[in-house]
Order: sequence, then structure tokens, then C-alpha cells
Amino acid sequence: MSIVAKGVSKRFGDFAALDNVSLEVPTGSLTALLGPSGSGKSTLLRVIAGLETPDAGEIVISGEDATGLAPQKRGVGFVFQHYAAFKHMTVRDNIAFGLVIRKRPKAEIRQRVDQLLELVQLQQFGHRYPAQLSGGQRQRMALARALAVEPEVLLLDEPFGALDARVRAELREWLRRLHEEVHVTTVFVTHDQEEAMEVADQIAVMNDGVIEQVGGPRELYEEPASEFVMSFVGPTTRVGESWLRPHDLEILLAPSEDAAEAMIERIVHLGFEVRVELVRADGEKVWAQLTRDGCEELELAEGQIVYVRAAAERVFA
Amino acid sequence: MSTVDIVSRPAKIHSERASTALSLGLVTTYLSLIVALPIAALVFESTNGGARAFWDVVTSPEAVAALKLTLWTSIAVALLNAVLGTITAWVLVRDDFRGKSLVNAIIDLPFALPTIVAGLTLLALYGPQSPLEVAGHSVNVAFTSTSIVLAMLFVTLPFVVRTVQPVLLELDEEMEQAAKSLGASGWQTFRRIVFPNVLPGILSGVALAFAKAVGEFGSLVIITGNLPYKTQVSSVFIFSRIESGDRAGAAAVAVVLLAISFGLLLTIGAIRHYATRHDR
Amino acid sequence: MTGSRSRRYGLRLVAILYLAAILLGPLALVFFRTFEHGFGAAWDALSTAETVNAFKLTLIITAIAVPLNTIFGIACAIAIVRRRFPGKGIVNAFVDLPLALSPVVVGLALFLLYGRDGWFGGWLLDHGVQVLFSLPAMVIATIFVSLPFVAREVVPTLREIGDEQEQAARTLGANGWQTFWRITLPAIRWAVIYGVILTTARCLGEYGAVAVVSGRLQGETETATLRVEERYESFDLAGAYAISIVLALIAVLVLVGMTAIRPKEEAA
Repeated sequence: MSIVAKGVSKRFGDFAALDNVSLEVPTGSLTALLGPSGSGKSTLLRVIAGLETPDAGEIVISGEDATGLAPQKRGVGFVFQHYAAFKHMTVRDNIAFGLVIRKRPKAEIRQRVDQLLELVQLQQFGHRYPAQLSGGQRQRMALARALAVEPEVLLLDEPFGALDARVRAELREWLRRLHEEVHVTTVFVTHDQEEAMEVADQIAVMNDGVIEQVGGPRELYEEPASEFVMSFVGPTTRVGESWLRPHDLEILLAPSEDAAEAMIERIVHLGFEVRVELVRADGEKVWAQLTRDGCEELELAEGQIVYVRAAAERVFA
Repeated sequence: MSTVDIVSRPAKIHSERASTALSLGLVTTYLSLIVALPIAALVFESTNGGARAFWDVVTSPEAVAALKLTLWTSIAVALLNAVLGTITAWVLVRDDFRGKSLVNAIIDLPFALPTIVAGLTLLALYGPQSPLEVAGHSVNVAFTSTSIVLAMLFVTLPFVVRTVQPVLLELDEEMEQAAKSLGASGWQTFRRIVFPNVLPGILSGVALAFAKAVGEFGSLVIITGNLPYKTQVSSVFIFSRIESGDRAGAAAVAVVLLAISFGLLLTIGAIRHYATRHDR
Repeated sequence: MTGSRSRRYGLRLVAILYLAAILLGPLALVFFRTFEHGFGAAWDALSTAETVNAFKLTLIITAIAVPLNTIFGIACAIAIVRRRFPGKGIVNAFVDLPLALSPVVVGLALFLLYGRDGWFGGWLLDHGVQVLFSLPAMVIATIFVSLPFVAREVVPTLREIGDEQEQAARTLGANGWQTFWRITLPAIRWAVIYGVILTTARCLGEYGAVAVVSGRLQGETETATLRVEERYESFDLAGAYAISIVLALIAVLVLVGMTAIRPKEEAA
């Protein structure tokens, strides 16, 4: 195990950011801490990094108790949401910083910086200043800087949060590929479930200072442990006490004994996907997700009466 | 845009130009009357007797002694301010303790207090009737160059603190956290990350403090005793020349101080320009 | 702040000792010494005719200088930020100059302009106008040294708020004066107030420039600050302290004003 957090708690005044949180991060994995703002995910990351001290609990990194250690001594690389670039230094000097602090020979530093510039594809930008780079380039520089000192663990705090959608998508893929090449244990924080599902091996879903569930993307989607996890990780629709995925709501044209009557209120065409909003006889609103072909086959129209049935549902105690 | 607008535009532009011209005219007249003319008179009168007479006064032993004293005390004070002012600004921005906002407010006291009162209060605590004792001897720095430094420290106290504070506030604390996560110690972080970014703030504060110290008069009058060659700074020298009717002599040395002031203003402008280079 | 405890306390101690030694100690002592002999002695020192006149004179000069510099400051700031004209650099330099210049040099410059042998002095005296050694010179000197404050506070605020609101007002039909009165002025009001507080403090506390041009005739051309020195020279330490306390109390009021207004000014 690269990182083990045991019973970590942290308060800020009256606000409990973390409440008895425990997590295991396997060596070499890419783990996501996923949750809405205020869930404690950034706080947990910073406690692991040593940028915050927990009120209770311990952090073990690579088998050693790191709870009392300063961030300098933990062997973690940290990448900030807003890059924290050293704006008065060039890109090369930024990346070299950790090595300069450790007093490595100049030739070694130069070589390593060249290597990293190539890894993050910023070869031509070495002598520029951060202000002259785009957001995506700055974030790649920040990653190179964190990797330069060969950390045992890489921590990223909403690394793509400050970037626009297209750059975000590119960098997500890029991070996945980087991880496959470099194999450093990586933990990143995000509020974007799509990002977590796409990039991570293991996801810890957090809410209100606790971890609701830890698992792979498929496990979380198909076997959510709570309402929160289910609705956070994918689209949901409710029928009474049951929760379903909209694509698990079947629409039938003829009545059936396990199907309820409903009227189609609205049909929204979203390219390949079609969203059908219905209201049941008892007034409850549900929605179903169909493919374009599926919808065409049924020849649905607004105002039509149909019958809906749950193909798979979950009830949470 | 209708034809009505097009037709009424010239009239609007006219009145706009007229009011601009009027307000500009008033502003420049005021400035000329209050500032430019007196300065012109000063420069002119100082060279009235010719370059020779100017040079003779400026290089006379008393004038040179006064200028030397003024410069070394002002430099000492500027450097002390650089260090102590930065520490004070750091404590005010990064630290937190009960009464901090009170301390923050007090920093501006030298701006608000008349210089002559400042001199009097320093005299009370560090002069002949001082209640303080060090190593069995009563403290008394009146009529010494220490009193000059003390008075200058008082009047220049806010400058570096107030120029460094906003820079520290704006400084991205995450840069320091990043440095620490990369292995830098507290001192290394300060030296390599904080200091380079705070330096322009320190420098402009130092330049302002130096300008104030060089020209300081009111706080020095009482506590230094104005002894020629010993505790007489240039501003007091000028004053004594005026009192004895030697206006040309006073003007000559005054022009030297004027040149120093202008030079410092230009320096401060250059520092500001340099400081924002990374943001352009 | 993540840093060692001892370093943090150490720095805090240095800062507080520095402030105590330079600022607070001296001031506290004077407060103590003034009232050492009771309120009565202090009050007597303050209520002599010359002292009362000195305060009056200070107030009159301030009452003239502050409004003039305020109007100038606002007009100048608008000119610098919103208008284009040649020589802006020189205007800036002249506005900043009083901050960097020794007050004695200021007094001397005025002396050379309005003295009997000065550029204007002779002509003015021949026409019965007494400038030097009289109120006009003292007012001009005080205006000179307190000139920059309103302008320097208003300029950055004007820059920051931009002229979009003013443009919007114009498109809605407002003329220059209306735009200024209803849009610009309200937007800069905290900067103006802060600048006025600084200007007033400077006027009340001015010593050097006024010392040169006033002639220091007791009861006539002696301001409160000049009177402090006069009392000291006359070995009336109690009197000097008493007047100083009043000036220091005014300074404290100024500080209170500054502290109260600064956040509003920064938020604008």
C-alpha cells in the first residue's frame, strides 16, 4: 500500500471537514477522490500531503508513519488547482526547483529538465515565463515540476478545474497515458464524476466529510452503496422508494401487470440519446433514457399514454 | 443612429472639449502657481550668482558635513526600515494575535502626528529626562547622531510596512506551499520564492523612506540640538542659512536636496515599472 | 501559517518591540508626563490667549487648504486618468514632488518667490499685499505640502472602476457635469474621503515649511505646531507637552478615521 489514512478527522472552527476517514491507496494506482464542494476531498488530499494537520488519525506513506512529518519530508509531489507557478522563474527553473534545492549537479539537473520537458511536451517553452503560457501548458509544467524529484506519491488537487472543457478532456487522456508510462501512485481530487470514471482505477466517493464508497468505476455505477453515490456517479430517476438508472426504465406500449401507467410530457432529442419525461398516474415524475433507434421503434409522441417498468432498481435502507 | 444624433454631436463634442480644456487649464494653473513657480524660483536663484558661487557654497565645510551626516543617517534608516519594516509587514499579514488590528492602525501614526511633536516625545523618552536606564546609566541620546537616526526611524516607520503589506497579501501562498512540497525549507522558501516577489515593494518603500529622511526637519529640530558639524543635517543647515539672510547659500544646498528628491521619484517609478514586468 | 512556532513568536516579538521603542513608548511617556501635575496645569497651559490663537490659526489654514486641494485633487485625477494631453508625466511628477521634498526647501522656494527681493514679492508689497510673514504664505506653504493626497488616492480608484459607467450615462443623455456629479463622484467618494483625512492631518501637523515663511510672530503668525516649539524654547515643557497631547489626540482621531475608511476605500 502506498498510502493508508486511518481515522482522519479535521475541523475548521465549527465545520467538520473530515470525520473519521479511512482509505487505502494501492501502490501504482490512480485513485480519484470524488465529491461535491465541501465534501472534504481537498482537505483529505492536503492532510496526506502534510499541508494540513489532522485533529485525529494517522497517515502512513510507503509503510512509514508520516502523520507528524512536514511536507518537505513526505516524498509527495503536489499539483495545485491554480498551478502555483513560480511566476518570477522560467519554465525550466520552475521544473528544476526541487532538484536545485537538493543541490544536484547542474548537468544532472539540465538532463532531467530536458527529459521532463519532453515528457510533458513543452520542449520549446523552457525559457518562457509562466505568464506567457496557456492554462493547460502551465498545468503540464506544474506536473513536470512535481515529478522532477521522483516522488513516491503524486497528489493533484482539482488539476483541471481551472481549464475550459476541451483542454480538460485532452489533459484527462494525457494524464491517463502519463500514468501508464510513469506508474507513480497518483491520487487526484475532482468534483466531475465523468472525469473520475474516465481516468481512475479506484474512486472514493466523499460527502460531508465521510467516504461513502470506494470502488472501481463500474462497481460504483452498478452497485452503489447509497443514494448519494448512485445519484452522484450517474443519472437517476426515482419511482417511489426505488432508485433507477433512466436507461433501466422500460417503456411499453401495451399494459402489463408490473408496469404503471404514465403520460409522456416531453421528448428531448439529444443527438444519439433521447430523453423521455413522463408523469405517472399518481402524479410522480420520472424520466427514461432511450437510444434514438429505440425511440423511433416505439414511435413515441408527446401526450401519449404508455406503461413504464423498472428493468433493474435499487432500494436503500 | 438618427440624423438628430448626428446633428447634435458636434455641439456635444465642442462642449466636452471646452470643459476638458477648462479643467485642464485650472489644474495646470493651480499646479504652476503652487508647485512649479516656487521650484523654478528656487533653481533660478541658486544659480543666480553663477556656477562658481553655487559650487563654493555647496562644497563649504559646513555644507559638506551636513550633507554627509544627512546621507549616512538616511541610508542607515532606510536599511533598518528595509529589515524591520518587512518583518513588521510579515507579522501583520501572516500572523494572527489579539490586538493585531490595533497594531496595524498604529503603524500610520507617524503620518498623522506633527513632526515637532514626534521630536518632543522622542526627547522625553530618550533625552536628558529619560526614565530609562541601561547598565546603570541614564539613557540620553540628545545632541548625538543616534538621536537623528531615532527621529528618522519614527517618521519613516510606515513607509516600508505599507508598501510591503499589499504585495504580501497578493502573494500566492500556494507558491510557498508548492516550494515546501518540493522539499524547500522555510528559509529556502523565503529566499527563493517570497523575497524575489516582495523585493520591489521593499525597494519602493526604502526609496520613499530615504526621501523622507533626507528632507526631515521638524522632528530633528529639538532633539538634535543642531550642532554644526556634529548633529546638523542639511535641512537644518538650510534653515540656519535662511535665518542669517544668506538666501543664495540656502538655495544652493536646497537645490541639491531637490535633485535628490527628483532622483528618488524617478527611481520609484522605475521600480514600479520593473515590478510589473512579469504581468505584461 | 505553517512555520515553526518559535520563529513566528520571534518575528512577532521583534515587530512589537520595534513599534514600542519607536512609537508607543515615547507617546505614552508624554501622556504620562503631561498629566503628572494634574489636569489643571495642563489646562492652564492650553488656555493662554497665544495658544488659543495658535490653534485658531492652524484651523483657519486647514479650512482653506483642504477644500482647495480636494477640488484640485479630484480634477487632477480625472485629467490624469481619463484625459489625454501632452506632459502627463510632468504633471504626475509635480503632484508627487511634495511627498519627496523637504519642507524647508518648500519654505525657501516660497521665500524666494514672495520675499521683498523675490520674483513677485516686491510688486505685491507695493500694492499692499503682504504674503510672507503673514497668512497667505502660510496657506500656500500648507497647500504645497498637502497637495498630493487626494489626487493619489483617487487616481487608482478611477483607474480601477473604468469609464464604462460614465459612457453609459452619456449614452443616456447626461452631460459632463451630470455624469461627474451623479456617476463619477459617488464612485470615488471613499477614496476622496480617505484623501481628505490624510490632507487634513498633514495640514494640521505641518511645521517646517510654515516655520520658514511665517516669521513666527506670537499671536499672529504662530500655528499650533510652531507654538509647541516656542513653548519648549521658553522652557515651558508642560505647555509644550499639553499642546502636543492635543495634537496627538487629533492624530489618533485621524488614525481612527483612516482605519474605518480604508476597507471601504479598498473595496471600491
